[in-house]
Amino acid sequence: MKICISSTGPNISDKVDPRFGRCQYFLIFDTETKKSEAISNQGVQQGSGAGVSAAQLVADKDIEAIITGNIGPNAFTVLGQSGVKIYAGVFDLSCEEALEKFQNNDLTEVSEATGPGQHGAGQSDGRRGFGHN
Amino acid sequence: MVAVALVTINKMKKIAITGGKGGTGKSTFTIIFANKLIKKDKKVLLVDCDIECPNLYLLINKGLGKIQTKVYTQKPVIDKNKCQQCGLCVKNCRNNAIFISPKKYPIILEHLCSSCGACWLTCPNEAIKTKKEEIGKIHLNKISSKLTLITGVAKPALEDTSSIVKQLKDFSLDLAHKNKVDYIIYDTAAGTHCPVIIALLDNDLSYVVTEPTPLGAHDLNLILTLIEKIKIKKKIVLNQANLGKIDSTLKILKKHKIKKIDIKIPYSKKIVKHYSNGDMLNCLI
Repeated sequence: MKICISSTGPNISDKVDPRFGRCQYFLIFDTETKKSEAISNQGVQQGSGAGVSAAQLVADKDIEAIITGNIGPNAFTVLGQSGVKIYAGVFDLSCEEALEKFQNNDLTEVSEATGPGQHGAGQSDGRRGFGHN
Repeated sequence: MVAVALVTINKMKKIAITGGKGGTGKSTFTIIFANKLIKKDKKVLLVDCDIECPNLYLLINKGLGKIQTKVYTQKPVIDKNKCQQCGLCVKNCRNNAIFISPKKYPIILEHLCSSCGACWLTCPNEAIKTKKEEIGKIHLNKISSKLTLITGVAKPALEDTSSIVKQLKDFSLDLAHKNKVDYIIYDTAAGTHCPVIIALLDNDLSYVVTEPTPLGAHDLNLILTLIEKIKIKKKIVLNQANLGKIDSTLKILKKHKIKKIDIKIPYSKKIVKHYSNGDMLNCLI
Protein backbone atom coordinates (compact mmCIF):
# COMPACT_ATOMS: atom_id res chain seq x y z
CA MET A 1 0.00 0.00 0.00
CA LYS A 2 1.13 3.53 -0.77
CA ILE A 3 1.26 6.20 1.96
CA CYS A 4 1.79 9.92 1.55
CA ILE A 5 3.47 11.95 4.30
CA SER A 6 3.56 15.74 4.32
CA SER A 7 7.23 16.51 4.88
CA THR A 8 9.47 19.49 5.52
CA GLY A 9 12.19 18.01 3.29
CA PRO A 10 12.85 15.39 0.61
CA ASN A 11 14.32 12.77 2.94
CA ILE A 12 12.67 10.25 5.20
CA SER A 13 14.73 11.64 8.10
CA ASP A 14 13.10 15.08 7.63
CA LYS A 15 10.31 16.19 9.93
CA VAL A 16 6.64 15.76 9.15
CA ASP A 17 5.27 19.09 7.91
CA PRO A 18 2.28 20.08 10.09
CA ARG A 19 0.49 21.48 7.01
CA PHE A 20 -0.94 19.17 4.39
CA GLY A 21 -1.86 21.35 1.40
CA ARG A 22 1.01 23.75 1.96
CA CYS A 23 3.74 21.35 3.04
CA GLN A 24 7.18 21.56 1.43
CA TYR A 25 7.34 17.98 0.12
CA PHE A 26 5.16 14.94 -0.25
CA LEU A 27 6.98 11.75 0.65
CA ILE A 28 5.31 8.77 -0.92
CA PHE A 29 6.21 5.47 0.65
CA ASP A 30 5.33 2.04 -0.65
CA THR A 31 5.00 -0.44 2.25
CA GLU A 32 5.53 -3.42 -0.03
CA THR A 33 8.56 -2.36 -2.04
CA LYS A 34 9.88 -0.12 0.83
CA LYS A 35 10.64 2.49 -1.80
CA SER A 36 10.02 6.18 -1.26
CA GLU A 37 9.58 9.09 -3.64
CA ALA A 38 9.75 12.82 -2.79
CA ILE A 39 7.64 15.35 -4.68
CA SER A 40 8.16 19.07 -4.20
CA ASN A 41 4.79 20.67 -3.47
CA GLN A 42 3.78 23.35 -5.98
CA GLY A 43 0.78 24.13 -3.77
CA VAL A 44 2.91 26.26 -1.42
CA GLN A 45 2.61 29.11 -3.92
CA GLN A 46 -1.06 28.72 -4.76
CA GLY A 47 -3.68 31.29 -3.86
CA SER A 48 -6.43 28.96 -2.85
CA GLY A 49 -7.29 25.31 -3.04
CA ALA A 50 -3.79 24.06 -2.18
CA GLY A 51 -5.40 21.28 -0.15
CA VAL A 52 -7.47 20.14 -3.14
CA SER A 53 -4.41 20.23 -5.36
CA ALA A 54 -2.52 18.08 -2.82
CA ALA A 55 -5.48 15.73 -2.56
CA GLN A 56 -5.47 15.41 -6.36
CA LEU A 57 -1.86 14.30 -6.27
CA VAL A 58 -2.76 11.70 -3.66
CA ALA A 59 -5.63 10.46 -5.82
CA ASP A 60 -3.53 10.37 -9.01
CA LYS A 61 -0.81 8.33 -7.31
CA ASP A 62 -3.26 5.75 -5.99
CA ILE A 63 -2.38 6.49 -2.39
CA GLU A 64 -4.47 4.82 0.31
CA ALA A 65 -3.45 6.78 3.40
CA ILE A 66 -1.96 10.13 4.32
CA ILE A 67 -0.01 11.17 7.40
CA THR A 68 0.14 14.84 8.35
CA GLY A 69 -0.19 17.39 11.15
CA ASN A 70 -3.34 19.26 10.22
CA ILE A 71 -5.74 18.79 7.37
CA GLY A 72 -8.00 21.56 6.10
CA PRO A 73 -11.67 21.33 5.16
CA ASN A 74 -11.22 21.23 1.37
CA ALA A 75 -8.69 18.42 1.33
CA PHE A 76 -10.64 16.52 3.93
CA THR A 77 -13.88 16.71 1.94
CA VAL A 78 -12.46 15.40 -1.32
CA LEU A 79 -10.14 12.78 0.20
CA GLY A 80 -12.93 11.51 2.41
CA GLN A 81 -15.11 11.03 -0.65
CA SER A 82 -12.41 9.07 -2.45
CA GLY A 83 -11.88 6.74 0.49
CA VAL A 84 -8.34 7.76 1.47
CA LYS A 85 -7.56 7.21 5.16
CA ILE A 86 -6.34 10.36 6.91
CA TYR A 87 -3.98 10.20 9.89
CA ALA A 88 -3.51 13.69 11.33
CA GLY A 89 -2.18 15.13 14.56
CA VAL A 90 1.40 14.08 13.85
CA PHE A 91 3.76 16.77 15.11
CA ASP A 92 7.50 16.91 15.87
CA LEU A 93 8.27 13.51 14.40
CA SER A 94 10.51 12.59 11.52
CA CYS A 95 8.77 10.94 8.58
CA GLU A 96 10.57 7.72 9.47
CA GLU A 97 9.24 7.79 13.04
CA ALA A 98 5.74 8.62 11.80
CA LEU A 99 5.87 5.70 9.40
CA GLU A 100 6.96 3.37 12.17
CA LYS A 101 4.07 4.55 14.34
CA PHE A 102 1.71 4.03 11.43
CA GLN A 103 2.90 0.48 10.94
CA ASN A 104 2.44 -0.20 14.65
CA ASN A 105 -1.11 1.17 14.45
CA ASP A 106 -0.16 4.02 16.77
CA LEU A 107 -1.64 6.84 14.66
CA THR A 108 -5.18 8.14 14.89
CA GLU A 109 -7.43 8.24 11.87
CA VAL A 110 -9.42 11.49 11.83
CA SER A 111 -13.06 11.86 10.90
CA GLU A 112 -13.11 15.62 10.36
CA ALA A 113 -10.88 18.49 9.26
CA THR A 114 -8.42 19.41 12.01
CA GLY A 115 -7.78 23.02 11.11
CA PRO A 116 -9.10 25.91 9.06
CA GLY A 117 -7.99 26.41 5.48
CA GLN A 118 -4.90 28.57 5.13
CA HIS A 119 -5.28 31.27 2.55
CA GLY A 120 -2.39 31.46 0.20
CA ALA A 121 -0.15 34.26 -0.90
CA GLY A 122 -1.58 34.56 -4.39
CA GLN A 123 -5.10 35.89 -4.32
CA SER A 124 -5.55 37.45 -0.93
CA ASP A 125 -3.02 40.19 -1.58
CA GLY A 126 -4.17 43.76 -1.49
CA ARG A 127 -7.39 43.37 0.41
CA ARG A 128 -9.03 46.26 2.20
CA GLY A 129 -6.58 48.60 3.80
CA PHE A 130 -4.07 46.07 4.99
CA GLY A 131 -0.39 46.53 4.48
CA HIS A 132 0.64 43.65 2.27
CA ASN A 133 4.04 43.83 0.69
CA MET B 1 -18.52 63.89 -42.12
CA VAL B 2 -16.28 61.93 -39.79
CA ALA B 3 -15.11 65.11 -38.06
CA VAL B 4 -18.69 66.20 -37.44
CA ALA B 5 -19.57 62.85 -35.96
CA LEU B 6 -16.62 63.06 -33.56
CA VAL B 7 -17.66 66.47 -32.29
CA THR B 8 -21.12 65.30 -31.39
CA ILE B 9 -19.94 62.38 -29.27
CA ASN B 10 -21.00 62.74 -25.65
CA LYS B 11 -18.08 64.16 -23.73
CA MET B 12 -18.92 62.39 -20.52
CA LYS B 13 -15.96 62.16 -18.16
CA LYS B 14 -15.23 58.92 -16.34
CA ILE B 15 -13.50 59.36 -13.01
CA ALA B 16 -12.41 56.92 -10.32
CA ILE B 17 -11.79 57.80 -6.68
CA THR B 18 -9.39 55.45 -4.96
CA GLY B 19 -6.65 55.48 -2.33
CA GLY B 20 -5.33 52.10 -1.21
CA LYS B 21 -5.83 52.56 2.51
CA GLY B 22 -9.27 52.38 4.07
CA GLY B 23 -10.56 55.45 5.87
CA THR B 24 -8.54 58.10 4.05
CA GLY B 25 -11.71 59.87 2.92
CA LYS B 26 -12.38 58.42 -0.53
CA SER B 27 -16.15 58.46 -0.16
CA THR B 28 -16.19 61.82 1.62
CA PHE B 29 -14.11 63.32 -1.18
CA THR B 30 -16.34 61.64 -3.77
CA ILE B 31 -19.41 63.42 -2.40
CA ILE B 32 -17.72 66.79 -1.99
CA PHE B 33 -16.39 66.50 -5.54
CA ALA B 34 -19.86 65.62 -6.84
CA ASN B 35 -21.36 68.56 -4.92
CA LYS B 36 -18.94 70.91 -6.65
CA LEU B 37 -19.82 69.57 -10.10
CA ILE B 38 -23.55 69.82 -9.41
CA LYS B 39 -23.07 73.43 -8.33
CA LYS B 40 -21.54 74.03 -11.75
CA ASP B 41 -24.77 72.64 -13.21
CA LYS B 42 -23.22 69.31 -14.22
CA LYS B 43 -25.19 66.08 -14.24
CA VAL B 44 -23.48 63.43 -12.11
CA LEU B 45 -23.83 59.68 -11.78
CA LEU B 46 -22.21 58.36 -8.62
CA VAL B 47 -21.36 54.66 -8.58
CA ASP B 48 -20.45 52.98 -5.31
CA CYS B 49 -18.03 50.23 -6.37
CA ASP B 50 -17.20 49.25 -2.79
CA ILE B 51 -19.69 46.44 -3.23
CA GLU B 52 -18.59 44.43 -0.20
CA CYS B 53 -19.52 47.26 2.14
CA PRO B 54 -21.11 50.10 0.18
CA ASN B 55 -21.64 53.25 2.19
CA LEU B 56 -22.13 56.29 -0.08
CA TYR B 57 -25.88 56.03 0.47
CA LEU B 58 -25.30 56.12 4.21
CA LEU B 59 -22.93 59.08 3.97
CA ILE B 60 -25.50 61.12 2.09
CA ASN B 61 -28.22 59.89 4.43
CA LYS B 62 -30.40 58.36 1.70
CA GLY B 63 -31.62 54.87 0.99
CA LEU B 64 -30.14 52.35 -1.40
CA GLY B 65 -33.12 52.86 -3.68
CA LYS B 66 -34.94 50.28 -5.74
CA ILE B 67 -33.25 47.14 -7.03
CA GLN B 68 -32.64 47.62 -10.74
CA THR B 69 -31.19 44.25 -11.52
CA LYS B 70 -29.68 41.22 -9.86
CA VAL B 71 -26.15 40.10 -10.60
CA TYR B 72 -25.54 36.47 -11.40
CA THR B 73 -22.61 34.23 -11.98
CA GLN B 74 -22.37 30.75 -13.48
CA LYS B 75 -21.24 27.67 -11.60
CA PRO B 76 -20.27 24.39 -13.28
CA VAL B 77 -22.39 21.26 -12.95
CA ILE B 78 -21.15 17.84 -14.11
CA ASP B 79 -23.46 15.93 -16.45
CA LYS B 80 -22.75 12.34 -15.47
CA ASN B 81 -24.38 11.04 -18.67
CA LYS B 82 -21.75 12.75 -20.80
CA CYS B 83 -18.68 12.83 -18.53
CA GLN B 84 -15.92 10.43 -19.60
CA GLN B 85 -13.92 11.02 -16.36
CA CYS B 86 -10.92 12.31 -18.35
CA GLY B 87 -9.94 14.86 -15.69
CA LEU B 88 -9.19 17.70 -18.14
CA CYS B 89 -11.41 20.04 -16.10
CA VAL B 90 -9.24 19.37 -13.05
CA LYS B 91 -6.08 20.28 -14.99
CA ASN B 92 -7.64 23.46 -16.38
CA CYS B 93 -8.98 24.76 -13.07
CA ARG B 94 -6.59 27.39 -11.74
CA ASN B 95 -8.49 27.65 -8.48
CA ASN B 96 -8.21 23.94 -7.68
CA ALA B 97 -11.97 23.88 -7.37
CA ILE B 98 -12.36 20.50 -9.08
CA PHE B 99 -11.17 17.15 -7.81
CA ILE B 100 -11.36 13.72 -9.39
CA SER B 101 -10.44 10.35 -8.00
CA PRO B 102 -9.78 7.42 -10.37
CA LYS B 103 -12.87 6.04 -12.06
CA LYS B 104 -15.15 8.53 -10.37
CA TYR B 105 -16.89 11.71 -11.50
CA PRO B 106 -15.33 15.09 -10.76
CA ILE B 107 -16.31 16.85 -7.55
CA ILE B 108 -16.77 20.63 -7.72
CA LEU B 109 -15.93 22.73 -4.68
CA GLU B 110 -18.17 25.68 -5.43
CA HIS B 111 -16.72 27.97 -2.80
CA LEU B 112 -13.35 27.80 -4.54
CA CYS B 113 -14.82 28.32 -8.03
CA SER B 114 -14.40 31.80 -9.54
CA SER B 115 -16.75 31.03 -12.47
CA CYS B 116 -13.97 31.60 -15.00
CA GLY B 117 -15.51 29.08 -17.37
CA ALA B 118 -12.29 27.22 -18.23
CA CYS B 119 -13.81 23.86 -17.28
CA TRP B 120 -16.99 24.08 -19.30
CA LEU B 121 -15.34 25.76 -22.28
CA THR B 122 -12.65 23.09 -22.61
CA CYS B 123 -14.61 19.94 -21.76
CA PRO B 124 -14.25 17.73 -24.87
CA ASN B 125 -17.52 15.95 -24.09
CA GLU B 126 -19.63 19.03 -23.31
CA ALA B 127 -20.30 17.37 -19.99
CA ILE B 128 -20.17 20.51 -17.89
CA LYS B 129 -23.34 22.52 -17.76
CA THR B 130 -23.77 25.74 -15.84
CA LYS B 131 -26.25 26.93 -13.28
CA LYS B 132 -27.08 30.51 -12.40
CA GLU B 133 -26.21 31.78 -8.96
CA GLU B 134 -27.13 35.18 -7.58
CA ILE B 135 -24.10 37.02 -6.22
CA GLY B 136 -25.32 40.58 -5.85
CA LYS B 137 -27.78 43.36 -6.57
CA ILE B 138 -27.66 46.77 -8.20
CA HIS B 139 -29.68 49.58 -6.59
CA LEU B 140 -30.55 52.99 -7.98
CA ASN B 141 -31.56 56.09 -6.07
CA LYS B 142 -32.38 59.27 -8.00
CA ILE B 143 -31.35 61.91 -5.48
CA SER B 144 -32.11 64.97 -7.61
CA SER B 145 -32.37 66.00 -11.26
CA LYS B 146 -28.57 66.39 -11.24
CA LEU B 147 -27.53 63.46 -9.08
CA THR B 148 -28.19 59.74 -9.27
CA LEU B 149 -26.56 57.16 -7.02
CA ILE B 150 -26.00 53.57 -8.13
CA THR B 151 -24.92 51.05 -5.53
CA GLY B 152 -23.66 47.53 -6.02
CA VAL B 153 -24.19 45.13 -3.14
CA ALA B 154 -22.37 41.81 -3.06
CA LYS B 155 -23.59 38.79 -1.16
CA PRO B 156 -21.37 38.18 1.87
CA ALA B 157 -18.62 35.54 1.90
CA LEU B 158 -17.87 35.38 -1.83
CA GLU B 159 -14.37 34.38 -2.89
CA ASP B 160 -14.13 37.05 -5.59
CA THR B 161 -16.48 39.97 -6.18
CA SER B 162 -14.82 41.58 -9.20
CA SER B 163 -17.44 40.30 -11.64
CA ILE B 164 -20.08 42.26 -9.69
CA VAL B 165 -18.05 45.44 -10.14
CA LYS B 166 -17.76 44.70 -13.86
CA GLN B 167 -21.51 44.26 -14.24
CA LEU B 168 -22.14 47.32 -12.04
CA LYS B 169 -19.91 49.42 -14.30
CA ASP B 170 -21.56 48.11 -17.48
CA PHE B 171 -25.00 48.91 -16.06
CA SER B 172 -23.91 52.38 -14.93
CA LEU B 173 -22.19 53.29 -18.18
CA ASP B 174 -25.24 52.27 -20.15
CA LEU B 175 -27.47 54.42 -17.95
CA ALA B 176 -25.00 57.33 -18.05
CA HIS B 177 -25.16 57.38 -21.85
CA LYS B 178 -28.96 57.14 -21.86
CA ASN B 179 -29.34 59.96 -19.33
CA LYS B 180 -26.57 62.04 -20.93
CA VAL B 181 -24.70 62.66 -17.70
CA ASP B 182 -21.60 64.87 -17.68
CA TYR B 183 -19.63 62.91 -15.09
CA ILE B 184 -19.67 59.29 -14.00
CA ILE B 185 -17.75 58.86 -10.74
CA TYR B 186 -16.70 55.45 -9.47
CA ASP B 187 -15.92 55.26 -5.76
CA THR B 188 -13.66 52.23 -5.38
CA ALA B 189 -13.09 49.98 -2.39
CA ALA B 190 -9.91 50.22 -0.35
CA GLY B 191 -7.06 47.91 -1.28
CA THR B 192 -5.49 46.92 -4.58
CA HIS B 193 -7.32 43.64 -5.17
CA CYS B 194 -9.40 42.61 -8.20
CA PRO B 195 -12.61 44.58 -7.44
CA VAL B 196 -10.49 47.75 -7.15
CA ILE B 197 -8.63 46.99 -10.39
CA ILE B 198 -11.89 46.49 -12.29
CA ALA B 199 -13.27 49.75 -10.86
CA LEU B 200 -10.13 51.62 -11.96
CA LEU B 201 -9.96 50.29 -15.52
CA ASP B 202 -11.15 52.43 -18.42
CA ASN B 203 -11.38 55.83 -16.73
CA ASP B 204 -10.24 59.27 -17.91
CA LEU B 205 -8.80 60.17 -14.54
CA SER B 206 -8.33 58.83 -11.03
CA TYR B 207 -8.12 60.75 -7.78
CA VAL B 208 -5.88 59.05 -5.23
CA VAL B 209 -6.99 60.06 -1.75
CA THR B 210 -4.37 59.64 0.95
CA GLU B 211 -3.57 60.89 4.45
CA PRO B 212 -0.26 62.13 5.94
CA THR B 213 0.49 59.07 8.09
CA PRO B 214 2.97 56.19 7.73
CA LEU B 215 0.06 53.79 7.10
CA GLY B 216 -1.39 56.13 4.49
CA ALA B 217 1.99 56.39 2.78
CA HIS B 218 2.48 52.64 2.77
CA ASP B 219 -0.82 52.00 1.03
CA LEU B 220 -0.33 55.01 -1.24
CA ASN B 221 2.74 53.24 -2.57
CA LEU B 222 0.65 50.15 -3.32
CA ILE B 223 -2.13 51.99 -5.12
CA LEU B 224 0.30 54.12 -7.14
CA THR B 225 2.14 50.98 -8.22
CA LEU B 226 -1.16 49.54 -9.39
CA ILE B 227 -2.21 52.72 -11.19
CA GLU B 228 1.12 52.85 -13.02
CA LYS B 229 0.53 49.30 -14.18
CA ILE B 230 -2.93 49.98 -15.57
CA LYS B 231 -1.87 53.35 -16.95
CA ILE B 232 -4.60 55.79 -16.06
CA LYS B 233 -4.08 59.47 -15.27
CA LYS B 234 -3.94 60.32 -11.60
CA LYS B 235 -4.25 63.27 -9.25
CA ILE B 236 -3.21 63.21 -5.62
CA VAL B 237 -5.61 64.31 -2.90
CA LEU B 238 -4.15 64.75 0.58
CA ASN B 239 -6.90 64.62 3.16
CA GLN B 240 -6.49 66.01 6.69
CA ALA B 241 -3.49 67.72 5.17
CA ASN B 242 -2.65 69.78 8.23
CA LEU B 243 -2.50 66.79 10.60
CA GLY B 244 0.04 64.02 10.95
CA LYS B 245 3.50 63.93 9.43
CA ILE B 246 3.86 64.35 5.71
CA ASP B 247 7.46 63.04 5.40
CA SER B 248 6.56 59.46 4.59
CA THR B 249 3.93 60.57 2.06
CA LEU B 250 6.41 62.86 0.28
CA LYS B 251 8.93 60.04 0.14
CA ILE B 252 6.44 57.79 -1.65
CA LEU B 253 5.41 60.57 -4.05
CA LYS B 254 9.07 61.15 -4.90
CA LYS B 255 9.56 57.44 -5.47
CA HIS B 256 6.73 57.54 -8.01
CA LYS B 257 8.09 60.74 -9.58
CA ILE B 258 5.04 62.76 -8.58
CA LYS B 259 5.97 66.40 -8.12
CA LYS B 260 2.86 67.89 -6.58
CA ILE B 261 -0.13 67.21 -4.42
CA ASP B 262 -3.07 68.38 -6.53
CA ILE B 263 -5.62 68.91 -3.78
CA LYS B 264 -5.03 69.46 -0.09
CA ILE B 265 -8.02 69.19 2.22
CA PRO B 266 -7.23 70.49 5.69
CA TYR B 267 -8.97 68.95 8.67
CA SER B 268 -12.01 71.06 9.43
CA LYS B 269 -14.84 70.81 11.91
CA LYS B 270 -17.18 71.94 9.16
CA ILE B 271 -16.74 68.67 7.23
CA VAL B 272 -17.01 66.64 10.45
CA LYS B 273 -20.30 68.37 11.26
CA HIS B 274 -21.76 67.65 7.82
CA TYR B 275 -20.55 64.06 8.16
CA SER B 276 -22.00 63.57 11.64
CA ASN B 277 -25.32 65.16 10.72
CA GLY B 278 -25.79 63.05 7.60
CA ASP B 279 -25.72 66.25 5.60
CA MET B 280 -22.81 65.57 3.26
CA LEU B 281 -24.83 66.58 0.18
CA ASN B 282 -24.60 70.18 1.36
CA CYS B 283 -20.88 70.01 2.18
CA LEU B 284 -18.76 72.25 -0.01
CA ILE B 285 -15.16 73.24 0.54
